[in-house]
Amino acid sequence: MGAGPALTPMGSCRKLALPMTQQTRHKVQSVDPRRLKLADPAGTSGVLLGFQCRQCGVQVFGPATYCQSCTSNDLAPVELSQRGILYSFTVVRVPPAGWPGAVPYILGQVELPEGPHVLAEVIDCAPTGLKIGMEMALALTHVQAEGSEVVRVVYKWRPQTPSANFPEGKP
Amino acid sequence: MTLLSPGREVVVAGVGLHPFGRFRDKDLATLARDAVVAALGDCGVPWKDIQAAWFGHVYYHGMSVGETALAPLGLTGIPIINVENACSSGSTAFWQAYWSIASGLYDLALAFGAEKVPSGPVTVTAADSPDRYIGGDHMMAGYALRAQRYLAETGAPLAALGQVAVKARQNAALNPYAHRKDTYTLEEVLNSRLVADPLTLFQCCPTSEGAAAAVLCARECLGQYRLDGRRAVRVAAAALTSGRYNGKGSDHSAFSPYRTEPAALQAYEMAGLGPEDVDLVQVHDAATIGELQQLEALHLLPVGEAWRASLEGRTALAGDIPCNTDGGLLAMGHPFGATGIRMVHETVTQLRGEAGPRQVPDARAGVAQCSGAGDVTTVIILAK
Repeated sequence: MGAGPALTPMGSCRKLALPMTQQTRHKVQSVDPRRLKLADPAGTSGVLLGFQCRQCGVQVFGPATYCQSCTSNDLAPVELSQRGILYSFTVVRVPPAGWPGAVPYILGQVELPEGPHVLAEVIDCAPTGLKIGMEMALALTHVQAEGSEVVRVVYKWRPQTPSANFPEGKP
Repeated sequence: MTLLSPGREVVVAGVGLHPFGRFRDKDLATLARDAVVAALGDCGVPWKDIQAAWFGHVYYHGMSVGETALAPLGLTGIPIINVENACSSGSTAFWQAYWSIASGLYDLALAFGAEKVPSGPVTVTAADSPDRYIGGDHMMAGYALRAQRYLAETGAPLAALGQVAVKARQNAALNPYAHRKDTYTLEEVLNSRLVADPLTLFQCCPTSEGAAAAVLCARECLGQYRLDGRRAVRVAAAALTSGRYNGKGSDHSAFSPYRTEPAALQAYEMAGLGPEDVDLVQVHDAATIGELQQLEALHLLPVGEAWRASLEGRTALAGDIPCNTDGGLLAMGHPFGATGIRMVHETVTQLRGEAGPRQVPDARAGVAQCSGAGDVTTVIILAK
């Protein structure tokens, strides 16, 4: 990583996360139910969704009607792994339009054992604690955009092994 | 895959540019028309002779902007087609004009493109997309992910990336049409503010406004239109591809750097030329890493080796693989609809020997490669 302003430990999403008592008064929903299924109404746990082709075996992340590899429509819904390998990462210092979190934030590209790459913010870690090839684990945060009634549960990545910066895993 | 065999030889008879930069007082149609008038004037074709026109642009400026741009030249009743194919919109318009002539549908056609790109990071998805919450829809972040991976895989130093931007500005300083004409040192490039690590601001192309146009003609019809065959440049190949499944799933941002290869191989086969025949190349350098990876995908340099060529000056004007000789996206700027045709403009100018202080000596064949969201790739080969 190059020089630049130090990354605020922990993304903004934690700041945006609401106390449980307050959450219940808001509508909690997955950021995209086709990609992330919530395991409970409060959205404290969930699983990444995808499809596997019954013809060629290829798996994809997110919605699919036809296989991206062989074009068959014989697809089975699957739940994807909660862990993957960090393929690449960057620290985004100029955010895209609509980004509800703080800046800078870490963006990670994680390769699942099933094949798909999943882009998401990396939390609970400083950039110096990341290394391409390390194991990452799925994490969920609650994000409420300013002026919105809806609390969105967004999937994130965090290092599987807590880094030295954040020994407890949850700073 | 069977390639359509070109029926007739097609040449670029005329090219025109509107300077790239910011032109707040000019609307899109006016920018576009200025480039068209320049291209028509370059080859002496009267507007009334053009039989069909394709217009590349992305951002919405009302319906049928191509018609709006051309109407003041006279309502001649020809088909005018508006083309949106992301950053490859201009080169896609060129591809369509090329095939319309090669197939015998028309003898004389126009490809043009223009854009007024809004300031700030470029996003691909609609404003209500979940991707905005997830944080991955960010063009330069996508390039940054590729850069981090490339640096880790090859061991290339940051200077190799930075040198791409230094070289782009040096070329642009010799080009009156460029958006950014001031040169920078390597230190200035690497020390400019970070956009997405490791890419600094000067390693990311500016969002710009501009327009470009090309007049294409069947070789056998040059005499009929009293065109100068000596200034006409042959279109040796025009290939266009979209994404092919590469095992990385459905996330459009997790793209492979090597989407370009299938289009390049098609184009080389069509042209009957190989990478060894290429004298100069324009590639999609929206960020510095893009130039390195496109040079490898075009087989002009071995995979993982382009960074050395950058550091050694081999891609500079005086090098053996002159790349982005007009300044590229990094210094020309990147008005999406215009960029692909701007690359054709530069290649034609070089092959004619009219590039002045940035002329590549004895240039006989040039490649123009453009990428776009949707994993669109165009590879156009022009030759004497």
